[in-house]
Amino acid sequence: MKPKIGIFSLTGCGGDQLQILNMEDILLDLLSNFDIVDFQEASSRKEEGDIDVAFVEGTVSTEKDLKHLLEIRERSKVLIALGNCATDGCIQAMKNDEDIRERFQEVYGVNPDEFDARPSQPLSEFIKVEYEIPGCPVEKEEVLHGITSLLNGDSPPRYTYPVCVECKLNEYPCVITEKNLPCLGPVVRAGCDARCPGLGLDCIGCRGPIEDQSNYASELLMLKERGYDDDFILNRLKVFSGKLETLTEETK
Amino acid sequence: MKYTIPELTRVEGHGGIDVTLKGNKVEDVKFNIFEGPRFFESMIKGHYYDKIPDITRRICAICTASHSLASIGAIENAFELEPTPQTALLRDLLIHGETIESHALHVFMLALPDYLGYPDAITMASEYPDAVKNALELKKTGNMIHTLLSGREVHGMNERVGGFSTIPREEDLVKLRDSLSRVKPVGELAVELLKNYEPPAYNNSDNLLIAIDPGEKFGFLGDYIITSNGEKIHQSRYKEITNESTVNHSYAKHSLYNGEPFMVGSLPRVILNGEKLENSAKDLFLEHKALLLQSNSISNNLAQALELVHCIERSIQDIDVLLSNGLTQEGIMEVKVFESRGINAVEAPRGTLYHDYTFNDKGEITKANIITPTAQNAANIEKDVKVIAENLVKSEEKKVKEALELMVRAYDPCISCSVHLTHIK
Repeated sequence: MKPKIGIFSLTGCGGDQLQILNMEDILLDLLSNFDIVDFQEASSRKEEGDIDVAFVEGTVSTEKDLKHLLEIRERSKVLIALGNCATDGCIQAMKNDEDIRERFQEVYGVNPDEFDARPSQPLSEFIKVEYEIPGCPVEKEEVLHGITSLLNGDSPPRYTYPVCVECKLNEYPCVITEKNLPCLGPVVRAGCDARCPGLGLDCIGCRGPIEDQSNYASELLMLKERGYDDDFILNRLKVFSGKLETLTEETK
Repeated sequence: MKYTIPELTRVEGHGGIDVTLKGNKVEDVKFNIFEGPRFFESMIKGHYYDKIPDITRRICAICTASHSLASIGAIENAFELEPTPQTALLRDLLIHGETIESHALHVFMLALPDYLGYPDAITMASEYPDAVKNALELKKTGNMIHTLLSGREVHGMNERVGGFSTIPREEDLVKLRDSLSRVKPVGELAVELLKNYEPPAYNNSDNLLIAIDPGEKFGFLGDYIITSNGEKIHQSRYKEITNESTVNHSYAKHSLYNGEPFMVGSLPRVILNGEKLENSAKDLFLEHKALLLQSNSISNNLAQALELVHCIERSIQDIDVLLSNGLTQEGIMEVKVFESRGINAVEAPRGTLYHDYTFNDKGEITKANIITPTAQNAANIEKDVKVIAENLVKSEEKKVKEALELMVRAYDPCISCSVHLTHIK
């Protein structure tokens, strides 16, 4: 029997599911290995019951998201957080320190009595997550690698080193030393093959921090020495990190 | 009596429909949005201008380049920066590439299963293997443009305020041109498959159409907005069109122009600007003009198919001009920041998209307003829900629901990027 998989999304841009659909050359072959019981973005098919592997993208941003996530967890043997919203909160968690009512007032011009929204958080804040595939969006190859590993009873790969490592392996000129750009490569998880430095740009951190190993204090110090002020650097570090409290704590 | 579609499938994001009937009359319709609020405008406040497009492009994965180009344009308008002709051409190629990817996905994989009676394209592939395989090839070609110019398929980074960080190599453009020539028949196949389906009469009602005036040739960029009433308005006065007001039911803001709902997207573009199409796209437009009904939003699918043909031909044209001019590593233009406001509109695959930013003298954003196509279409979608429910009042529930889903899907709604639509209890 083919393994049953579900591809689910909470609040987000839909980009991680889209990366699966972007594997055009192998999509039909790849999906033929599975019984797809739920893939709202691509199919009207919906089946209840147990799932072998659930892929979940997006942050928990509403009570409805949370309820949905708990239901998925309940019926899944293995649950994979797909993309940075699901693994780290990504940009949606950037301003969790601000009052949600004020944000409603500012963006929608209303101050609702009741609302379903809550500060955006990654999946692991609520449930056990077996594996994480980071990235905004996820890299197609990493998803494929993850899926084939699971099919063969292995675990998906993890990247525990910074973007700088891949930048050096590609022999790209360092954009910090050559162009004085505020690159976040030293504190950001690798796995993207250093795309931004490869195009002459500074890394903005879309793959999130390196499993509790990011040295934000030294990044801050290094960029300060290069003429960037505290606010500028903190603003930049906050964009994809989500884990704001640790960040401000460490950078004091 | 009540019809409920709890969750629309084969659409981007999470939404549903509620219709309440009293006798033969529709009492209430709701296009519900379950997507969590994402507060992008408050998110970008305080950020320095240069990384704003990197954040706002993440509003949507399928139209990431449309958001980045709208964002870049608003910033360049604020700081009075005029892109070079090469930059303008590369941007034109990028937005046409994005539309190929988005329309190929929507027409073949999200909309066609409705017409051919399948739950999805994967199942459809068992009987239409060639159509699905060719569609994937076409979609991939759109993504190749994205990857070459923007850096990757989703949320790229290479297009910047003031130019492109790295200019593509000529040999890569030549390869891209070959791929585009190979998939040209697939665009025509989309028209071929859809022309047999007449838009169902139960969805007929007046539609006010709005799109960007692309200038001399059909396209997705321009400074003026035109309407099917013959009006022409500069993009800086967009609020007169989008005119958002808070409504009392499920979501916060609705767009009404002169008090009326309106439609943006492929159908408005092709009806308002179709005479500006060229080559095969023009021939096919003239041949199938009678099937493009202003009064029927479901014709949007055929309009998308025609745009696919246009996008492929235009991308080839853009590449030819770029190659014959020769590419220069221009670098990124220097930006002088000052206290200012900038507004820009682009045609995203799903319709007109506006970004409006105000900056302080340090180049940090103090105020932002982003109005997406689906937010503008929401009121028109509700109008169509009402029309269908009333016209099909004597039909079985299953048929009504299928008709409603078909209609909503034809708009190619992007609910996660609706920004101004949110569910409030």
